[in-house]
Amino acid sequence: MSEDAERTSVRQKIISWQGLVIGVIILLLIGVTAFVIFQPIKVLQRMYLAPGYALTDQNGDRLTNEDMRGHFVMYNFTYSGCREPECQQLDLVMKELQDRLDEAETADTPVSFVTISFDPEHDTPDVLRAYAEELGADTSQWSFVTGDPTRLKYIIGSGFSVYYDQKEDGSWQFSPTMVLVDGWGIVRAIYNARQRPINVDNMIEHLTGLQEEVAASDGVGKLGYEAAHLFLCYY
Amino acid sequence: MKNKKGLLILAVIAIIVVIVSVFILLPRLKPPAFHGMLLQGTSPVFDFDLTSDTDESVKLSDFRGKPVLLYFGYTFCPDVCPTTMAELGRMMRELGDDADDVQVIMISIDPERDTPERLGEYVRYFHPSFIGLTGTEDEIAQAATPLGIFYAKQEVEGASGYLMDHTATVLLVDKDGLARLIWPYGTSAEDMAADVRYFLP
Repeated sequence: MSEDAERTSVRQKIISWQGLVIGVIILLLIGVTAFVIFQPIKVLQRMYLAPGYALTDQNGDRLTNEDMRGHFVMYNFTYSGCREPECQQLDLVMKELQDRLDEAETADTPVSFVTISFDPEHDTPDVLRAYAEELGADTSQWSFVTGDPTRLKYIIGSGFSVYYDQKEDGSWQFSPTMVLVDGWGIVRAIYNARQRPINVDNMIEHLTGLQEEVAASDGVGKLGYEAAHLFLCYY
Repeated sequence: MKNKKGLLILAVIAIIVVIVSVFILLPRLKPPAFHGMLLQGTSPVFDFDLTSDTDESVKLSDFRGKPVLLYFGYTFCPDVCPTTMAELGRMMRELGDDADDVQVIMISIDPERDTPERLGEYVRYFHPSFIGLTGTEDEIAQAATPLGIFYAKQEVEGASGYLMDHTATVLLVDKDGLARLIWPYGTSAEDMAADVRYFLP
């Protein structure tokens, strides 16, 4: 082989190595782009911290957010004094979700329901217990709670960012909202019936998705989920 | 022959370069793995206004520009609080010079017994830069509630009278006032330091 030919061959080898490195980088970039576009993993945004609270349930016992650590919790906010369909709408959605819970694949993570009444004057534990019975709620996993009015403002208003206010006639106006909180105490979804029709199928899908994320909280799977959070691959 | 040897050396070098660059690139491409749980909210934490251990009014927004680590505890706390505060102290030493850009604040959930003086003495036992804050019951509830902090009195027999049940997480508020990370009780100083470094200004 002439010296020229050998030099050309060396140069070609160098070029092919460069090509390989560039190829790997391009493949990685394509991979990231495909992840962002096709979103093979969807997640619920880790929105903000759910509030801390210590409230009294329908049996007169204390219920705190720490009792809910490690659970997926669906919250709603209401008062039992109103039986208009608009007031009760989300209590009935909670009931439907509880009835259909076996459709959500939540494996070992317990799912709890908490209905917070913003009308402690009327909604005593006895009244809340009667209301739970009327709804047909399974109170082994669904608590009806209330507490001090000032603390409720901090919890519901500034904690969950849900509006409510008492009108002059004593009735209440409120934003019909459900909030899904994960086992870390982080708000993962907000369902506002005024902004978008409530769909229980979506909630079941979200609960299943949360469980998949918990199941992948170790090892390589976690990377995929963290990437999904990083690239905002939201439901 | 000489050229073939050269080619071999070149190939080995190239392979090493590729392997090293993949190892350097991969950690940069993968999302940051925190020891705490990451929050992605976009609204700042409630700007509380409390009283410091030197009797001054202190707002959370006074610390914009540096990450703030918030812990809610009390000085009569038998085990959980001193353990966490000691880990936070170790974390500051682990951070070295970077610790100047980090503020640790303990907010008392027991204003009845935690006087500013007592609180100051307590927090600075763990690190000279730590600040203790207190306020009225209402002010403290207003600061604690939106941060997921629960606390309640628990009566016990004995001289102390009562203990406080409380959430024992540590929260990182970033330089812009957004809550970004929560560490569960028991997170080590090294793990917290590694996470904090990511949020340094």
